[in-house]
Amino acid sequence: MTILRNLRFALNSAWQSFWRNLAVSLAAVVSITLILILAGVNLLVGHAFSQVLDGFREKVSEMSINVADDTPLTSVYAFQQQLQGDPRVATVRFVTKEEALAEFVRDPNNAVLSQQIQGNPLDAKLEVRVRSLSDVAAVDSMARQWPGVDPTDPTNYQGEFVTRMLQLSQWLGFAGIGLMTILVIVSIVIVMNTIRTAVYHRRKEIEVMKLVGATEWFVRGPFVLEGIMTGVIAAAIALSLLVIAYPPVVSRFSADITFIPLTYDPTFISSLARDLLVGGALLGALGSYIGVRRFVRL
Amino acid sequence: MLLERLEASRLELLGRLSYTAGDLAQRARRRLTSQQKTQLMVLTPDFTARPVISFQHVWKRYPTGTEALRDVNLVVPEGDFVFLVGPSGAGKSTLVRLLIREEKPTKGKIFVEGVELGRMKRRQLPFYRRKVGLVFQDFKLLPNLTIYENVAFALRVHGQPDAFIRTRVAEALDTVGLSGKELTYPANLSGGEQQRVAIARALVHAPSMIIADEPTGNLDPATAWEIMQLFMRINARGATVVMATHNREIVDLLRRRVVAIDAGQIARDDRSGRYHDDSSKPQIRAQ
Repeated sequence: MTILRNLRFALNSAWQSFWRNLAVSLAAVVSITLILILAGVNLLVGHAFSQVLDGFREKVSEMSINVADDTPLTSVYAFQQQLQGDPRVATVRFVTKEEALAEFVRDPNNAVLSQQIQGNPLDAKLEVRVRSLSDVAAVDSMARQWPGVDPTDPTNYQGEFVTRMLQLSQWLGFAGIGLMTILVIVSIVIVMNTIRTAVYHRRKEIEVMKLVGATEWFVRGPFVLEGIMTGVIAAAIALSLLVIAYPPVVSRFSADITFIPLTYDPTFISSLARDLLVGGALLGALGSYIGVRRFVRL
Repeated sequence: MLLERLEASRLELLGRLSYTAGDLAQRARRRLTSQQKTQLMVLTPDFTARPVISFQHVWKRYPTGTEALRDVNLVVPEGDFVFLVGPSGAGKSTLVRLLIREEKPTKGKIFVEGVELGRMKRRQLPFYRRKVGLVFQDFKLLPNLTIYENVAFALRVHGQPDAFIRTRVAEALDTVGLSGKELTYPANLSGGEQQRVAIARALVHAPSMIIADEPTGNLDPATAWEIMQLFMRINARGATVVMATHNREIVDLLRRRVVAIDAGQIARDDRSGRYHDDSSKPQIRAQ
């Protein structure tokens, strides 16, 4: 009961304080909103990038082993069996020369080329999908030692591209974390200073509170709640702006840059909402806790 | 002239005692023996009562190097009324600050109701302050709160329920004679009335001890006298009162216990003393 009454007191105080210093409160809300929008964009870009990367991953975890024309079919089947037994390999598909040609012709990108083709220059191939991207190189070297492989053009896979993408995503991740850290520090400092202003306005009240026997948490409570209020309001504004802007931006991008498999992902909205609201509340609480710390000590 | 006024107010005080109800009075009566009651009636402290405050060889040196108190020994029994007098900078305020644990002693021990203040944890401090009522020279009222809310503030801070707060605040405002001013703001009251509000706030949680730091310092003599009567009445109800003051006239009139502090030491402790020493030794006049 006492806790509820104290909570009510703290809520009243926080609410009053928020409106009494409206200019400062709004400045804080706007700043935190901008920061959270940046953070949200960061999250969205990160998510889009991982979406794109997943798409690429799907493609590059596939390699093809070209079979020399004179290799007996039994030897091919034996190697296919061997690959299928390998724990690193997910699936193996045998594509005959004829099928390879049909696939080649079917691709509209090869329309001009396919008209000039004489006979069938394509190899039969084993299409291997590995379980993990990092195993592609190992499977590749194993395939190169197989006697049935076409010595002039043994295998096809985008190994270079894969490692580049992985590196890029790693660097982007670091950059994202760095940016987030800066944003978190800046917003904590902003909340801290806002709460300092509120403390200054209410220093007399704090003094009297301490003298009549308020606990440290009783003094701190209203300020921490005010910080949480600031953070949550800012998060709500930032979130609604992001939710409004997300679908049109995605459709613009996917229309302009067709090779990137970027799509609108409504399920990500809920996780974004959770991150922003919880993040905003935590930033507000932490900023005001630090801001008020010196003044509540008995 | 003044003696007549004193006598009149004393009679008025005794008259009021018989019908002023309230938690504090009841608590006090329950605790007092009939002998103590008689002594209360004639307004003399009972030095045989158990000590509520006890300073044992207390030294206080501030980080700046100022030695504010030097080997202070002081025992205040329950129900006592003590004037702390002495020139500015003598150490009165330091003594008060030690008593409300705004400061810790550098050396020595301070016991209040058997608890050593220097050893008290920071977490326990609020609960200690709830046993004490504090009155200051500058009132320390909150200008944006009504009189009612100012008095209720202490109880809100303690997390008391609204119904309890209502009765207690009404009682406290009645005691200080400010019933009917509940919805007024401090700025619309005179200095004396503001100090009454502050006293009501100090009383509202029925503390066993009132500590006042120059409560009449900002008031004219007539108002100061009214405020002092209020303190006497509170003391008569059983609360121990410790008051630092510069008001020579009142101290000399009331002839209560006077503890004179000079240069950080207790220079004099008289059971019914005057502001200045009775001896012919020359004194620096504080007023």
